[in-house]
This record gives sequence, structure tokens and C-alpha cells, in this order.
Amino acid sequence: MIYIIDHKDSFTHNVVHQFERFDDVTCDNYNEINEDRLNKSKVIVLSPGPGAPKDYPISSSIYKRFKGKKKIIGICLGFQQILHCEKGKIIEQKKIYHGYQSKIKVTSANSLFKKNRKFNVGRYHSLKLKEPFAAKDFEITMRCVISNVAMAIENNKENVYGFQFHPESFLTENGNLLIKKILSV
Amino acid sequence: MIKKNYLENLNNSKKPFIIYKSNKGFDLYTDFSKKIILTKNNIEGFINQCVKLKSKKKETDLFIGFFGYEVLNNLIGIKVKKQKGLKFPKGIFYKPETKQKLPNKLNYKKLEIIRPNKLFKININESSYKVIFNKFKKKIKSGETYQIKICTKYSNKTQIDALDFFCRLVKSNMAPEAFMIKDKDYSIISCSPENLINKKNDLITTKPIAGTLKKTKKLNKIKALMFFKRNIKESKEHNMIVDMERSDLSKICKAGSVKILKKKIVEEYKDLYHYVSLIGGRLKNNISSLDIIKAMMPGGSVIGCPKISTLNLLNAQEKESRNVYTGSFGYIKFNGDMRFNIIIRSILSYKNNSEISVASGVVIDSNAKHEFNENYIKAKALMDLYK
Repeated sequence: MIYIIDHKDSFTHNVVHQFERFDDVTCDNYNEINEDRLNKSKVIVLSPGPGAPKDYPISSSIYKRFKGKKKIIGICLGFQQILHCEKGKIIEQKKIYHGYQSKIKVTSANSLFKKNRKFNVGRYHSLKLKEPFAAKDFEITMRCVISNVAMAIENNKENVYGFQFHPESFLTENGNLLIKKILSV
Repeated sequence: MIKKNYLENLNNSKKPFIIYKSNKGFDLYTDFSKKIILTKNNIEGFINQCVKLKSKKKETDLFIGFFGYEVLNNLIGIKVKKQKGLKFPKGIFYKPETKQKLPNKLNYKKLEIIRPNKLFKININESSYKVIFNKFKKKIKSGETYQIKICTKYSNKTQIDALDFFCRLVKSNMAPEAFMIKDKDYSIISCSPENLINKKNDLITTKPIAGTLKKTKKLNKIKALMFFKRNIKESKEHNMIVDMERSDLSKICKAGSVKILKKKIVEEYKDLYHYVSLIGGRLKNNISSLDIIKAMMPGGSVIGCPKISTLNLLNAQEKESRNVYTGSFGYIKFNGDMRFNIIIRSILSYKNNSEISVASGVVIDSNAKHEFNENYIKAKALMDLYK
């Protein structure tokens, strides 16, 4: 079972439907986490949402508790939440992307995805990762072709994955394939 | 068939009535046997009792009316602090006993000559608008909202002939969700173009509009589409609304059933082009009318995105009640089918006070002066009726 934590976003249920293609999904509001269901789940998904990672301390503590024990996937705010927990700095960016389609590229040979593959994705984010960023076993694996902003992280050792873009958006090409692959490893 | 002078007689009879745009003309609802005034305490009970187990037989087996903005917030657990404004009911529904068809061309000659006051006052002037605008822009930069609609209100003290206003309005601005309600102490007139919920059996669709272009001689439908496609700001606003409405539908629809049925098309109106999408899905089993209303209302395209955080920002900012504006008008049939619009481009007239509310969106690349004027243009089409 996949447990999705909803950070009160207006895109979360697109995420739910996307994951439901592959497994049973339970989605609870950030304020109403169900410990039992959380413990029973195999995968935890941190949803997109407004604001910044520091606004969601419960999600940070869940991440720390289950890192290495369950597969964890973060999307947009959830991606930033993972980075925040890994001591990355999340900052405002000059150019803001809301409802924006960008071309991104797989930049790492260690990625689950083929290096140098380019595809279009939907973006909704005011904030970004400040670089340089380094954390044990983490690698930035995708970047925006134009701005070079970090678009995905992978930690294949402990099964932690994050996307700054929205795989569930109608603006993203092959979003379902991305999720399928990550769930299958 | 409706007889000549029918509308004149109806208006003179002082009976309450509702007119709602249908496919070919309008539907007229009269002879109300029940009138339910909604509060935050009775709204859930009201919605739950609308659907009666007996199968639908009559065309009038439905409740028709409106939900105001505040009660829709309350319904999804969002508080609206005490605001100024008319003490107008938060929602009213009627059970009609008569439904008749009216043609698109409404013939009505007003009998009494009422000269409405045409001077309006605005609740937020340009400089206060700029202050709010800049405040919200900061909230976009910090990620609390991605798009937010600032509402301004034009008001006026005057008597109006609502039916005369409505007939003139649909003559110049026919819209697929146009409606009017006339009751003893209030009337609502709207040329809303936007359908929020269309539910038949287990099929549900929503048709958000994001992007409006005023018609000129040089434009045609294809050129309008090119304008929207090339205009990055309009495209981004629209994309955001499409993903938000997909998500709202996904709360109540079967996994994998939510589809964009018409993606970013242009619809032509008398004076405007609208950038429109149609999104639909198949309802999960055991979804109630209340579940549907809570998932979809208040309609996202007129609020901003993400919905909850943006509603909280708006409610902390707005000092005056929105009343019916950005609420929803429509009906729930006894068999559970429903149709609701979003109340925009509307006039609320209550105890001789007229209110016209309008809103336009702040995204990161909007310009305060442009959006302020945009609001004025939207209101002007309605204020012109007072001439």
C-alpha cells in the first residue's frame, strides 16, 4: 500500500490517481496522519503543497523515521521536504514557474532513467534548491535544460526519490512511466 | 407555448421566479412550494435531503437556488471572519411546482419607468488595490499561493427592474450559464459563462474558463487561439486551473477516469473569446451530492490555486462579504443529477442596494494597473445596464 501525505494542495488527487494505477493508495491530510496506515504502507509519498518545508515539521519527522526503511517519494514541496531534511537550503528563485512547461534532461549516469534523455514536464514552484548541495548517497539526476535548476534527486541505496516537477500534471510527458519505474525498483 | 405579455404579467404578479439558460432557450421556474434559507448549520442536512429515493418523474422534482461564497467556505471547514456588507442570506433554495420553456429572445416591456441611479462607488481604489496586489505577489514568491484573484466591488443604492435588466443583459451578453432569481426583497442577475458541475448518472464534467480576450474586428477564433497559445501568462493561468480541476474531480471519481475532454479551446461569445477546457470523469460508487459539492466548490478558477491556502489568504484580506459572488447557482434533482455554475458577472440587488463584484488574477507576471482596469471593464458591462 502507498501512503500519500497531502499537504493541502490542489494537485494531490492527481498524484493519488497516478499512483492508483500501480497499487492501493491511502491519502490522508497532513493534520490527520493515521499511524496505523502509515506503518503498514510500503511506500510513502510526500505531496506537493503551498509554502516551504519548514511549515511541515510532521512530514520532516516522518521522513527521518522511515528513511531507509520504506521507499519515500517527494513531489514538488515533498521533493524540497526531503532536501530540507538532508540539510539542503530551499530558497526563493528569481524566475517563478507556475503552470509552466519546461524541457528537462537526465544528467546522471547513475539515474534509473537513461542519461541525456530530454522530456517536457509541468512545473509549479516558487522555491528551489540552493546549490552546491551534497548529501550521502544522494545525487541530482535531472535538471532544467535552460536554467539548470535541480529537477530530480535519487538515492538508490535507500530508495528515496524526489521530483521538483509534477509527474501527475497534464503538462508532463510520460509521467506515469516515471512513477511506474520508481515503484518497480 | 408562452403567451404574449407573459413575462409582464409574471413580473407584475410579484410572484418569485427563476430563469436559467437551457440548451435552446431558457427554463422558467415558478410556484415555489418551499423556500430554504441556508446557514452553515443546515446546509449539509439540506444537501443530503435533496436526493429522494423515489425515482424522478416530474420535471420539477428538484431544488433550485444558490450557495453564497461564505457558506461554501464553511462547508469545507474554512472560517470567514466577520465581514461588513449587506446582511444577505448565505444561500437560498426553492422547490418549484411549475417549469416552462422560454425562447432565447425574451420579450419584456417594462411597465413602470424606474430610473436607476447610475453612480457607483468602489470599495478598493487603485492605490489600495496596488497594496493588496503587492502583498499577494510576495505570497506567490514565498510559495503560499500560485495564483490569487483580488475581488473589487462596485455598489450603489437604487431600485431596479431586475427582469428588464436580465433581458437587456442576455441580449448583449448571452451566456451558457445565465440566470436570474427574483424574490420579494432581492434579485440576482448573471450572465455567467462558466459551468462548474454537470452531473448525469455517474458522469460528471466541469468546464473552467481561464483567459478572456475582447473581440475586435481583426480577430477571429483561430487568431484568438493563437493569442492564448502565445501568451505565456494566460497559458500558465489556464494550465494551473486545468490541473486543479483534474485534482478536484479525482477526489470523487474513479481512478483513471478523469480525462481532459476538450483541451484549451476557444469559445466565441458576442463580445469576447474565452479560453476553455472541459474535464470529466466517472464518479466512484457511493459518492453523495454533498461529497461532490465539497470537492468542487467554491469553484477554483475564480479563487486561485491551491484552493485552501488561497482561500485563507483571501479571507484574511477581504473586509467585505462577497455574498453570492463566486458562489454557485444551479439545481439538484431528486435523482441526484445536478447542474451548477459559478456566480460571476452578476448583480445582487437587495433592499435597493446593488452590488457588482469582479475579480482578476494575480500571477507572478501580472501588472497591478492592468488587472485593476480589467476589473473595471468586467464591471462596466453590468454598470451600463443602469443607464
